[in-house]
Amino acid sequence: MFYVELLVIGLVWGCMYALMALGLTLVYGLLRILHIAQATVFTFGAYIGLLVANRTDSLPLAFVVAALAAGVLGPLIYRLVYEPILDQPPFVPLIASIGVLVAMEDGFRLIFGPYGLSFENNPWFTTTLAFGGITLNLVQVWMVAAAVLLLSAFALFVVRTRAGVAWRATVSDPVIAQNFGVSVVRVRYLNFFVASVLAGIGGVLVGLLNNLVEPSMGSVISYKGLAIIVLGGLGNVPGTLVASLALGVVESFGSVFLDKVLDRDAMAFLFLIVVLMVRPKGLLGGAH
Amino acid sequence: MDYYLSVATFAALNVVLALGLNMISGFCGQVSLGHAAFYGLGAYAAALCSVAGVPFVASIAVGILVAGAFGVVVGFAALRVREDFLAIVTMGVGFLFLGVVRKQSWLGAEMGISKIPSPLDKTGYALLAIGAAITVVLLSLHVRRSWMGRAFDAVAQDEDAARTIGVDVAGYKTTAFLLGTATAGLAGAIYAHMTQLIVPDAFNFVQSITILAMVVVGGIGSTLGVVLGAVLLTVMPELFRFINDYKLLVYGALLLVVMRFSPEGLAGLYRRVSGRRLA
Amino acid sequence: MKLKLLAAAAFAAGVLAAPASAQQTPIRIGFHAPLTGFAASDGKSSLNGAQLAVEQINADGGVNGRPLELVVEDDQAKPDQAVPLANKFIGDGLKIVVSGSYSGPTRAAAGVFQAAKIPYVAGYAIHPDITRAGDYVFRTSFMGEVQGKAAAKVVGDLLKKKRVTLITLNNDFGQALSAGFKEVADKFGLEIVSEYTYAMGDRQFGSIVASVKRDNPEVLYVSGYFFNGGPLVAQLRAGGVQAQIVGTEGFDTDNFIAIAKNAAEGVIITTSLDRESKLPAMRKFIEDYEAKYKVGADMVAASTHSAVSVAAAALAKAGPDDTAKLRDALAATKDLPTAVGTLTFNELGEVNKAGQIQVIRDGKFHHFATIDDPELLAAPTK
Repeated sequence: MFYVELLVIGLVWGCMYALMALGLTLVYGLLRILHIAQATVFTFGAYIGLLVANRTDSLPLAFVVAALAAGVLGPLIYRLVYEPILDQPPFVPLIASIGVLVAMEDGFRLIFGPYGLSFENNPWFTTTLAFGGITLNLVQVWMVAAAVLLLSAFALFVVRTRAGVAWRATVSDPVIAQNFGVSVVRVRYLNFFVASVLAGIGGVLVGLLNNLVEPSMGSVISYKGLAIIVLGGLGNVPGTLVASLALGVVESFGSVFLDKVLDRDAMAFLFLIVVLMVRPKGLLGGAH
Repeated sequence: MDYYLSVATFAALNVVLALGLNMISGFCGQVSLGHAAFYGLGAYAAALCSVAGVPFVASIAVGILVAGAFGVVVGFAALRVREDFLAIVTMGVGFLFLGVVRKQSWLGAEMGISKIPSPLDKTGYALLAIGAAITVVLLSLHVRRSWMGRAFDAVAQDEDAARTIGVDVAGYKTTAFLLGTATAGLAGAIYAHMTQLIVPDAFNFVQSITILAMVVVGGIGSTLGVVLGAVLLTVMPELFRFINDYKLLVYGALLLVVMRFSPEGLAGLYRRVSGRRLA
Repeated sequence: MKLKLLAAAAFAAGVLAAPASAQQTPIRIGFHAPLTGFAASDGKSSLNGAQLAVEQINADGGVNGRPLELVVEDDQAKPDQAVPLANKFIGDGLKIVVSGSYSGPTRAAAGVFQAAKIPYVAGYAIHPDITRAGDYVFRTSFMGEVQGKAAAKVVGDLLKKKRVTLITLNNDFGQALSAGFKEVADKFGLEIVSEYTYAMGDRQFGSIVASVKRDNPEVLYVSGYFFNGGPLVAQLRAGGVQAQIVGTEGFDTDNFIAIAKNAAEGVIITTSLDRESKLPAMRKFIEDYEAKYKVGADMVAASTHSAVSVAAAALAKAGPDDTAKLRDALAATKDLPTAVGTLTFNELGEVNKAGQIQVIRDGKFHHFATIDDPELLAAPTK
């Protein structure tokens, strides 16, 4: 029972990581950029969601506004930071991304204060569902639901819609896609929009789960997110999902059984390094 | 006076660190996000020795050797992965190092290692650090101009092509790691004796990024540029006390601006202005 | 004629002004804290506490008629910024410095101050080696081990429970607390069922909650700060864990209650602040803090406030010019009323004082007990 509970908790955490990591893999798949600044979009979504929720007492509204706000910030970062330096060696956008992260974390601290903000009403947190001896609160349930719903929606999108097909084509081969009349620039904005909406929603959910929104809440998840996308095979969406869930479970068990040996954050990277030594292309291999 | 001395000492240590990273990432093109781990390895190894009674110079030597040894291990591991994977793997090495240190009581765990004997005074450390910095600068310039430097260049530009003309890519990549991490170990060993208390937090990811920022702002690949970058970024918090509250904001914005407008850093600016390459 | 009058007036003005300006030259105290960076929240609390102390002292006439002035610097909780700062303070002629920062930077700076023979008072940094840097270094907060011991007494003697699970924050603070608790656990008849550790940045404790449910202890001894303790306590209660929770001074802030909300009800903490204190110095601190900053006081602020009070009291006794005399005045501090209780330094520069046990009821901190066991709470002397 205990082990099943640990497994379930691991899967919940995995879904949390998936929401962040998917955005990272989308950006990498299209542009070969390690978008560490995704953490910024995540945290921004969380703050906006919290402000809206505390003002209007409506969680659904909070999610919508947060998702849209994040969906604006992400493409904005692309336009202002990445687009001008796309032709530079890879460390350039990486450092620029780190610059954005460092600056905005401090920005959040200056605007919202260092202590962090709490949700005034957090009914999902206090509502619990018990099944088979395991108790989960509503936020955790929604975390899984969100991951499942959003991912399915995305999968349908890329298969069934024109925009989705255009996106897939651009990821595969931007030059040929362009020859077929796909607007590569539009695809990029769409890409960042989707990645950012995922992060923004993830941010609000994590804020609810912790009942705390802090300036640096995105960074560790972002670093682990990078480990996850390497694990899953850079640019590989299903791989990222599998890796996210795997990491969540590893952390869940590891934090109880290995906590005397290794720091929790280090577990993600140990897992990564071990897997890479055995399978250098990641759990599921190269790009989609 | 003492104030300037201590700033100069830290600047010199940062020069050593940044030049080491420059050898790995700049000369040999392998982006490393975990350099602080080797800084830490040197510091911890030297500290443990000193606390156990080993003489100062020997402790420093141990620090250099331990950091270099681990550098070779990571170098080998790095051979299996490329480019973007490597950046994240090195980031992982950094987290792993801290993760282990934080939990082992013989390594001081969270309390760190304290009561490290300190045989020199402020001026002594300043001289030692500056001496170390000068040595590493000379080493770096020499490597650049040597056959090894050319081989590094070849590996950095195009690994596969280098391999086909018979360059021992694996050997050179590992050597780059060895040189870079050994110098980090030297800096760490000096640091440990200077501050007499080392805690895990001093060697975290933020520190790795700080060192990388020094390399990048100076101009990745350029020895003198990196020296300038290291000195500038060390002195900046001291100069900018009046915008104290916005320090990190400015720091992040600086990285952004440099990457956007002059990705080759200060060395790049120099080249554009003078037409010549900065060594 | 007019010129003579003007000259006379100027001379008179000069004579009148001179002694007054000599009276007004402030006495400067150095102060460093992590105002930016990962530790900024503690830095802010610490600065608040220090500035309040200076304000209160100046409102009361200053130190021997001279106003106190705080020279504030940001060390980002990094030793490599604290050391140059220490040198800067010394170079600028400051005669006494207060640390509002963490252990790493404080210990590094302590070495510098000791060598320069400048008295240094640490507000809340916890590492044992800080005061061992020398006889010029003092500390006004409880060391971690001492707090842990107090907690063990609370569980065994006051709550009369036996089976305890420890949930320990993985840093110097948490480790010290856990060590202190375990050291005297037998003495109070406690059985340590299990111990789990978590990292500073963790906010998700699902796996630990599941483990605690399985272990089923009577009491949980939790170390941490409000930003981990708050979520942890909330998740424990939401997960159905009913055990009594005993926390530490890291929870002693309204932020903790704001995050944990109902889950905070009934949580007991070991600290040095008593909201229902009869001690005038403590009352004044708590009331003035809330009035000035519009939030409840916390332990970091209180500890730093008392460090400044201690420094000011020594300055009043020995004057700001002779640092050796200043150090002696500090060392002789006995039964000084401060925001964290009545303080006396021992030979090492560590403080002996009573421990306050507070409980959270109706969303506020209330007095639960006071532990005044000099033997149990004795700070180490070397």
